[in-house]
Amino acid sequence: MLVNLPGPWSPLLGRLALSEIPYTNPILAPLFVIIVLAGIALVVGITYYGKWGYLWKEWFTTVDHKKLGIMYIILGLIMLFRGFIDGLMMRTQQMLAVGSGHNGMPLMGAIHGYLAPFHFGQIYSAHGLIMILLAATPLLVGIMNIIVPLQIGARDMAYPYLNALGLWITAAAVFLIMISLFVGDFSHNGWFGYAPIFELAYSPGVGVDYWIWTLELVALGTTLGSINFLATVVKMRAPGVTWTRLPVFTWTAVSANIIALTSFPCLQVALALVGADRYLGTHFFTAGFGGNLMLYTNLFWLWGHPEVYFVILPAFGMISEVIPTFSEKPIFGYITMVLASFAIAGVSWIVWLHHFFTMGMGPYVSTEFSVATMLVGIPTGVKVFNWTFTMYRGRLTFSSAMIWSIGALFLLLIGGLTGMMLSIPAINYMVHNSVFVVAHFHMMLLCIVYAVFSAIIFWFPKVFGFKLNEAWGKIMFWLFSAGTFLVFFPMFMLGFMGETRRLDWPFNLQWAPWFDIQEVGIAVYVLSVLAFLWLIYVSIRDRAENRVGADAWGTSRSLEWITDSPVPFYNFAMVPHVNHRDEAAWRREHGFSDKRPEKFAAIHMPNNTPVAIVIGALTFVIGFGLTWRIWWLTVAALVLTVLVMIYRSGKGDPGYIITAEEMEKMDRESRQKMDDGHAPLPKGGGYTGGTVTAYSAEVGDPGSQSTPPGNSRPLS
Amino acid sequence: MLKKAKPGHWRYLALAPLLLLLNGCAKHSAWWIFNPQGVGAKASYDYMMIDVVVMLSIVGITALLIVWFMWKYHKGKNRGSYDGKWEHSNKLEVAFWGIPIAAVAFLSWAVAVHGSFAVNPYNPTVITQHMKPKGDPIDIDVIATDWQWLFIYPQFHNMAVANELVVPAHTPVFFKLTSTAVTTDFFVPQLVGMIDVMPGMRTKDALESSHLGTYQGIAADYCGAGMSWMLFKTHVVSMADFQHWAKGVESSPNTMDYAQFNRFAEPYINVHNKTPVYGHVEKGLFNHLLLEVMNGKKWPLPMFMTENMFHYLKLQAAEHRA
Repeated sequence: MLVNLPGPWSPLLGRLALSEIPYTNPILAPLFVIIVLAGIALVVGITYYGKWGYLWKEWFTTVDHKKLGIMYIILGLIMLFRGFIDGLMMRTQQMLAVGSGHNGMPLMGAIHGYLAPFHFGQIYSAHGLIMILLAATPLLVGIMNIIVPLQIGARDMAYPYLNALGLWITAAAVFLIMISLFVGDFSHNGWFGYAPIFELAYSPGVGVDYWIWTLELVALGTTLGSINFLATVVKMRAPGVTWTRLPVFTWTAVSANIIALTSFPCLQVALALVGADRYLGTHFFTAGFGGNLMLYTNLFWLWGHPEVYFVILPAFGMISEVIPTFSEKPIFGYITMVLASFAIAGVSWIVWLHHFFTMGMGPYVSTEFSVATMLVGIPTGVKVFNWTFTMYRGRLTFSSAMIWSIGALFLLLIGGLTGMMLSIPAINYMVHNSVFVVAHFHMMLLCIVYAVFSAIIFWFPKVFGFKLNEAWGKIMFWLFSAGTFLVFFPMFMLGFMGETRRLDWPFNLQWAPWFDIQEVGIAVYVLSVLAFLWLIYVSIRDRAENRVGADAWGTSRSLEWITDSPVPFYNFAMVPHVNHRDEAAWRREHGFSDKRPEKFAAIHMPNNTPVAIVIGALTFVIGFGLTWRIWWLTVAALVLTVLVMIYRSGKGDPGYIITAEEMEKMDRESRQKMDDGHAPLPKGGGYTGGTVTAYSAEVGDPGSQSTPPGNSRPLS
Repeated sequence: MLKKAKPGHWRYLALAPLLLLLNGCAKHSAWWIFNPQGVGAKASYDYMMIDVVVMLSIVGITALLIVWFMWKYHKGKNRGSYDGKWEHSNKLEVAFWGIPIAAVAFLSWAVAVHGSFAVNPYNPTVITQHMKPKGDPIDIDVIATDWQWLFIYPQFHNMAVANELVVPAHTPVFFKLTSTAVTTDFFVPQLVGMIDVMPGMRTKDALESSHLGTYQGIAADYCGAGMSWMLFKTHVVSMADFQHWAKGVESSPNTMDYAQFNRFAEPYINVHNKTPVYGHVEKGLFNHLLLEVMNGKKWPLPMFMTENMFHYLKLQAAEHRA
């Protein structure tokens, strides 16, 4: 041992001991029992119905970008729920604890409310980390995973196996943070960690170690994913998908993943240095011996702020797809939208100091970063104006997807207004570390959540072949919005009343009414969660009535809407030839909606592989071993990981071939499945003369009824 | 035991929107940020108002536009004309970039640049420019421990008071701040904005107020389990009262040398809101502490200290620190 551990350690179990399992905790113990029972029920159920083979073949070993995307989204939704429960516990604690006098629960060891500071700190730290990195990020990565290849006419991601690896490493991070509930404890130093309180002297438990390795794993998974996205968009575009024909969502995915690729390594380095401090006894971020605790804050936010835009940009992309579809118009100012995305991505690198204006860096530095921060408001403002004017002269249908997107716009406006307040040091000094900041960034993150729900409703029929229930989508929207208003309007007010963040015991009785309003808001949020579950249930129950064709909304615009719903595993029977940025709208307008490939060619698809899930499981073991300092386990898992990687590299994946005849058969089946019981799609009118290229095989193929190249450019 | 001792506060709910107006000018208003009683806090408030007016005009108009378009272009209502090809306008795009650029340019100059100097914690021009030539500013050394505040008055025989701050009105007060173990934030919402307090580092802040009263001080950044109780009342008193109070503190027999400070700095949650005074602390304690921390001095936390607060309180009592 290079450091002096407070507490016992054994070579076999490291710091792990029976006493680390909180079986006396009146919240965690029942929860653990419930989860174990639910887990047993699940395993028994799967075994009873004999679904293990199906799960293994179709899901656990898959490299299909759509299935991986679905698993990312399920993972994200589960963690969104876990994070919400953390939020519920925090709101309840503050409501119960407010005011003077000892009103606590001795059973929980709390002298105010029901949570001792030790527990409260873990809950808000887990809440922040989960919501940003294990809920928002998987949800966005999942949607990008499904939609980006479809929007550019690719059969899969550039590296299908890498894609699966990213998912299973993210899943390992999720398992690691979930197991911290029941084995040991979690960090209580906030989701971003403070130096030097996360040093061993001030956080002697394993909580900070859980925090480090969860973050490291999710950072690794996301970095791998970003490489994949960039390679896919650069190399896998179908013929005709020029850079100016990329849909805005794909553009935002590109800008977001440039941010991810360049910023996540910074986080990994920062956390590795924290790990070195805690495991090797170095002094990178300690207060003494030449360590510099401010360096950590810089390194973290050097990643942290770009990360914020990594999560908001794809959300902007989703809004940019939904609003034009339900306005029946192209997006206003396409070039401007793309430029604005990259402007946001670029500026994201030069603003990180605004997270700690209060560190005393002096007025010149403060001013520089203040102005840089305000610059972000320019492209963001442009985006909002463009969305607004996309609706101008449109024909607006307020479907559930559309109202979620419009809701996101309003949250963005509030978030922008308060963000411009926070960007100014003179104002920031008064509200930094207050709940005003908390309310501000929840506006921005809820903007993402609204965009994600909008996107889930919008693209659900493309992936599953039937629409979600419109009425329940709207009911959920109004419940969720009421909850948002009731929780966060009081939070802004509490910020103006001077309440600072992370108070286990809010000492001021004058804050009490607002806490009560917030608790009502949380109850409304609970209703919206139930509405969401009901929405899913009702939609699956009534799926036969809600089957859709290729163009699920009748007014869809981009390329993904020309292929079948649900998307077959090969995405496009023939690689489409793209004539316009809004290919689906263009084809509809020119009478090509129903045009099917007339000839088929053999295609090459990647094989499934169990390697990704095995490496994912091993990374979890590495994380767990490191957390508890079980060195033999860590080393064994590490060696195994390397061996598996060598095995995979040596074996490679030759993939497999689907012949033209098989393709034709599958295409016919897919089409029949889709058209079964479904009314014909509405067609745009007008186009009569000439022919255009619809599928790439027809280009330059004298055998087909192809046309001279001159005719294949956009006609609109 | 879950029941709170605050009967009938639900009735306040109906008044909630009015609170803002009702309490608008009350000194002991609950709206601390809107009722600045210190020079620095007041300047910040003024800058905030400029910023909010400028931004609200843009954001508000945009919100109204969205609502108007939602109403006008609702499909099937035939209120507006449809143009499914309209996707670009040079004039509008220039306006879309121009409006935010103009707003940001104005706010940068009027608020960001001016404000950064006006309330710069190290040398706030709103305080320093108007200092009376003969007015003596007060220096206070602030030490944050886990989880108490120690305020040392070097000009007053190095007297000190813990967890309570007393400053004279109409007098600039200059703080030097450091921390023993971990980072936190010094914050008196109605008087002065936040400044980080870090171990092994020295930050500065300044305060001036002409409004007598008692204001809440807060440890605004997470610094561990005792943070919620790490509060200090800040009393702004007249100079005469201050002198009188200082005389009383100076004559306290309670003193503190570095060894005693070492004990004071051990983890302690100030649940009982103790405010001990020290007639004299060792000269140069602040710098001594800085050097010790830079040389690796730590005050480690016992494992799971606050897992059970009742258990902790028993320990605290057993150590005669309750």
